[in-house]
Parts: sequence; C-alpha cells; structure tokens
Amino acid sequence: MKKMWKGNHAIGEAAMRAGCQFYAGYPITPQTEVGEYLSWRMPELGRTFLQAENEMSAMYMIFGAYACGMRSMTSSSGPGFSLKQEGISYMCANNYPAVLVNVQRWGPGLGTLDSSQTDYLRDTRCGGNGDCRVIVLTPNSIQETIDLIYIAFDLAEKYRNPVEILSEAALGQMMEAVEFPEFKERTEDLGWTWDGTDRDHGRLANPDKPGATKAKYERIEANEQRYETYQVEDADYVFVAFGLPSRTAKNAVDILRAQGEKVGLIRPITVWPFPYKAFAEVNKDVKGFISVESTDAGQLIEDVALAAKKLRFNVPVYGQFTNQHIPKAKEVVKFYEQVKAGQIKEVF
Amino acid sequence: MAVLRKTPEMVSIPNSFCPGCGHGILNRLIAEVIEENGYEKKTILTLGVGCSCNMNGSWKGDKIQTAHGRGASTAMGVKVARPDLLSIAYQGDGDAYVIGLAETINAAYRNENITVFVVNNNNFGMTGGQMSWTTMPDQKTTTSVHGRDTNWTGMPIKVPEMIATMPNVAYVARGSVQSPKEIRKLRKYVKNAIEAQLNNEGYSLVEVLAPCPTNWGMPVDKALAWMDQEVSSYYTLGELKERKGE
Amino acid sequence: MELVFAGFGGQGVLTSGMIVAEMALEEGKTVTWMPTYGPAMRGGKAYSVVKYTDGVIGGPDIEESDVLVAMNGPSLEYAAYLKEGGTLIINSDEVADDLTVEGNFNIVRVPCMELAMKANNPKAANIVAIGALIKKCGLFDADLARKVLKQIFVNKGKEKFTAANEEAFNAGFDYVQ
Repeated sequence: MKKMWKGNHAIGEAAMRAGCQFYAGYPITPQTEVGEYLSWRMPELGRTFLQAENEMSAMYMIFGAYACGMRSMTSSSGPGFSLKQEGISYMCANNYPAVLVNVQRWGPGLGTLDSSQTDYLRDTRCGGNGDCRVIVLTPNSIQETIDLIYIAFDLAEKYRNPVEILSEAALGQMMEAVEFPEFKERTEDLGWTWDGTDRDHGRLANPDKPGATKAKYERIEANEQRYETYQVEDADYVFVAFGLPSRTAKNAVDILRAQGEKVGLIRPITVWPFPYKAFAEVNKDVKGFISVESTDAGQLIEDVALAAKKLRFNVPVYGQFTNQHIPKAKEVVKFYEQVKAGQIKEVF
Repeated sequence: MAVLRKTPEMVSIPNSFCPGCGHGILNRLIAEVIEENGYEKKTILTLGVGCSCNMNGSWKGDKIQTAHGRGASTAMGVKVARPDLLSIAYQGDGDAYVIGLAETINAAYRNENITVFVVNNNNFGMTGGQMSWTTMPDQKTTTSVHGRDTNWTGMPIKVPEMIATMPNVAYVARGSVQSPKEIRKLRKYVKNAIEAQLNNEGYSLVEVLAPCPTNWGMPVDKALAWMDQEVSSYYTLGELKERKGE
Repeated sequence: MELVFAGFGGQGVLTSGMIVAEMALEEGKTVTWMPTYGPAMRGGKAYSVVKYTDGVIGGPDIEESDVLVAMNGPSLEYAAYLKEGGTLIINSDEVADDLTVEGNFNIVRVPCMELAMKANNPKAANIVAIGALIKKCGLFDADLARKVLKQIFVNKGKEKFTAANEEAFNAGFDYVQ
C-alpha cells in the first residue's frame, strides 16, 4: 500500500533499496533530511553513514569507497553542490561511478531556499574542470525520484560515470504517496575496482587515448535519453519543461487543449544526455517551442534551442522563466496566449 | 653490524624524485614494513598532489591518485569499503597541512582507522618551491623571496602536535631522513603507524622531515646540515603519541 | 482540491495539512503535501498546502485554493489565492472579529483555542480547526476522518493522545452548524 513520504526521506530510503552501502554528506537546506534519515537508517541496516566536515571531504570519501566498488552516495544543494564539482571532475577522470543528489535551491552564492532549477547549466555541463559529463536524471514526483535512484547505481556502474539526481527544493520537502521497490544488492566484482592487487583500473582521461571520452559519451547519448512526450504529434507549440514545472506545464496543456489549442509537452527525464529523440516526435510544422523553467535568466532554453537546431526546426524558441517559484498552470496558459498573440519576443 | 636489505618489490629504482630528495627513503621504509606484514597485495596507497604524484610511476603497489588535500578523506572511503585492506594516505606538507588541513585534522578528529604519512620538506616542491605553512622563519622560497616573514604569514605549523592532543588517536610521530640514525628511528615509527591500523587501534600519523635540495637551492650535505641545525630543532623529532600497550 | 493551512510556527499547521493529506489518501486520492521549510519555519510564518484529486496533481505549492484555514491574522494574506466562493476558516481567538477579508468567501469563525481548552487539549487548536473544516466542507466522512486521525497518532507512538485529539476534533466539528 502506498504511504505518504517526504521527498528527501524517500531519496534516502530509495538509495537503501538500491543497495547503497555508504553515504557521506554535510547539512544544507533544503536537502538536510536526506542525511538525517540515513543517519539512523543506515546503521539499522548495517551500513555506513558519515557526517563529513565539508562537502569536498564527503565527496572524496565516496571517491575512495566507490574506487573499491562500494555503492556510495552523497547529496547536497546549491553552494554545497558547487564544492563537489572538483570531486565530480576527479571521478570522471578516473571513470568512477557514483550517485550524487542535488536538491536545488535558488540562486547564485548563498541564494535563497526557494524551489528552483538554477543549477541546470552547471550540472548538465559538469561544473568541474576538464571534459566531463554527468548523467543527470530529473524526477518530477517523489515516486519517480525513488524509481530513478533505484536505477542510478546500475547506470553509474554500467558506464563507469557519476549519475546525478537533479531534484528541487519543493520536491525534497513535499510529501506524496509512494511505493518502494525491493531491496537489491550488487555482489559481483566490477572487475576494475581497487582491491590492493594493482590490477588494471581503466582510467578514462588519458591524453594518449584520444577520443576515449567522446566514445563513452556517445554511447551514453545513444542509449540513455529518457523523456516523456505529451500530445506533440500535432502540436503548433510545444512546451519543454522538466521537474516540477513539467507538472504544471502538463496541466496547462490540458487546459489549452480543452480550449482547442494545439499544444504539447516534452518532458526531459535525462537532461544530460539531452533527449533529442523526443524532438523527433514533434509535428514537423510546429510553430515554436516554449521552455518553461524555474530560473531567472533561462538555462534549459539553451538545450531546447540546440535540440531545435539539431532536428532542423527553424522556429522561434521562447522562454518562460519564473525565477524562484514553480510556474503555475495559469501562468503557463497566459504566457502561451501572449506568445500566440505575438507579444513575446523569442530568445532564440 | 651492517645488514644488507633486499630492495622491496613495491618500490622501483630509479624513481623520478630529484637527487637528494627524501621521498625515496620513506617510500622504501613504507614498502619494507608492508612487505614484512605480508600486505603487498592488500594495500591501497592514496596519493596526494605534489611530489607524491611521482609515485604514480614508481610505486608498484595499488594506488589511487586523489585531489590536492583530500588524501585522508579518500583513504577513509577506501577503509569503509575495504576494512580488510591497509589504507594509507601519502602526502606532502602543502597537500596535508595547507590545502588539506581540514581533511587531515578531521580524519584524525574522527579517529579514522587509516595511516597518514606526510613528507614535510618545508615547501611546495612540485610547483617549484613556494612557501608552505611549514616553511621555516626567514627561509627563502619563490613566494617569500626575502625570507619568510612570520609576522605576516604565521609561524610554521605543527600539525602532529595538534593531532597528538586528540584523545583517541592511536599513534603520532615525527621522524626524519636527515641521518642513518634518524632513518632507523623513522623505520620504527612507520612500523608502529602501519601496525596500529592493522590492529584496528585507530588513526596514525607520521610526519617525515625531508630535504629538498632542488628547491632549497643547497647541495645535499648543506641541506642535511640545515635540517640538523634548524628544522629538527623547531620540529621536534620523536613519538608524540605512543600506542597504547606498547 | 487545494487547501492551505497557515499560522504561526508552533500552531501545528504543518501537522494539520499532513492529517488532511492522510485522510485524502485513505479515500484513495492522489495527494501532495507541501510545507514551508528552512528559516521560514522558525521565523514565525508557516503554512502547508494539501492538494488531492482523482487524477494527477500539478505543482505542489499554492496556486488557486479551495480552502484556507487561517490560524492567525497574518495568514489572511493567503486569501489572495482563494477561489471565488472558497471556504475560509478563521481561528477567531487570534483574529479580531472586525478584521474583514475582501472577496466572496464562505467564512467560518471558530474559537479554536478556546474549544481546545474546553476539550482539555490546549495544544490541539489545529485539530479543532480540522473538525470544523470537515463539517463545513464535507470533505470526508466524519468517521473516516476520526479513524485516520487516530491512526496517525498511533503510528507515531502517541496512543495516549488519541482520545483527547478526537475530543478536539469533535469540538470543532460540533461547533459548526
């Protein structure tokens, strides 16, 4: 039977079900409940929880543990997740798996605790140095948060690449009725891990192996684009939104369809790799794309424009940026009406 | 009576340290103790960033190259995943005491069951001899060209002394490679530090004073004499926290 | 259905929302509950939003509310999001009778704290308000509401409060005609 669970607690429990054996992290609102939950849950299951002295240290604890093949996770938000970027880069260089959770809060610097999506560009491009990418999964419900964490460790180990769950403050704080999958455990040796015998660890970043990084990322791009499309086949305008704004954008589609407007929605679930495949399902005569996002300056819209370019849609791309709040369905409807009336200037 | 010891399998000769560098001696001592304990295939060495990076080529055992300053955190993660293995962080003074001061102190504070070796050669060696927190008063480096001004930059830091005050840590010592006599003592410290971990006694740290003739701009004999006269009189040698029951 | 429970931190408005969310779940609805969090919680102003429906729910935060339960005066600012004809339950022990709210709402004034005192459960003004809400809006069958209310506290290991809480619930329920 489904039970009401807070998003952040569900993140912790889902990781337990997925076989996570080690968590290290540092408190920061609005994701602190992840660590609070795991601080008692992990010892109860005979696993290891550690409150670290800072975000970087937590990151390298995970780095050391996953080097030895132990399913490990860390989580943070906003400025705390910025501190983890160095470690993400090191993980990418070493071809390490890891599961990282970012429950986004608003803004640069200290920012605010409001629900937002302002870490999009950093996280989809990898904020660390070098040529790296992290598989970024964006749930839009607590059940989906659970389901994505449940596969995140498998994905991370399959591609030997960090996987990030990009959540949002409201999604971490709210409650919904959910079900958890069974406990699972990966017991087999991954083959490359550190075990003291100095076997081949298959480091990735190597100037003597040109193209190795590219080949790996192309494999991920080919296999792992995840998305949902909704009424895009005949749409004149297509909204693109992920996370919580995708839910209100979907409501807006229903409202507008009931008014006879031909609109649809693409909801990226992976934002890296970006789901270009979703755009191939769109009406060839579409008149425009509308990025709906909780950012101030517009971030997702850059990927929407690139997708439009890649799929050879020569149409305007508009952006509705609601800053530190989740766009309300009515606001999305109103924005659409303004776009249709030619009152909004396209961004791309 | 002189004893001829076989070179441990875990170190290769030649290595890529500069002539007269102290790292090679410590490498060999650590390798000897690991081999004595039969841990050649059961040790993961976490390498800090600095001259420790040279060991990526010369250390024959399993090793992880971590980020600058994060040696203790990484070694701790290794130990969580593989408590059956020997987990050692191998770092320099810039790595462990400057950028990684928080991680170094906090691993000791939590009494992680890991061993940390810090080569203290009073400067940032790999980047060409900049001032470190362990640079001696008036010592010239490329970022203290007129000699270290301690009024402005602080007095040389004594991390082992700080860590030795923590109630739970298993073992803390400072040794030196400045003379055969000190090397023999250092070997005992290395042995104690590693065995403390193997006995699950908790955190162990050995700081090792080492010459850096290249960056100090001195021939080896002068470097050793300076260590004898200046460095080791400030940085007192010996065991700062002994193992319980030893 | 969108309900907002607002008041000072400490008036139990997060719990109010959670209780009503559990009732909706028991009815087989899709439910979201969204709290204020972080410093807002400690700064005094707190609210929780409950949404439930037979279909899917969009955003979890306040959009267009059917009900506002205002446990104090400042909470009336959320009436700005209340639908035309929506229900506004006001804790009259904290909100002056002459305080008016602009808009066409069904307003019910309930002395939540006084009724809670009378029910020998002075901390349960929030539960009094839930009783009043259920009676006024007929959201759920009263017995289902009582069953869920009891179960929540049993699950929290607070069985000893169940009788007192039910009394508080009934006090609010019976107050509304």
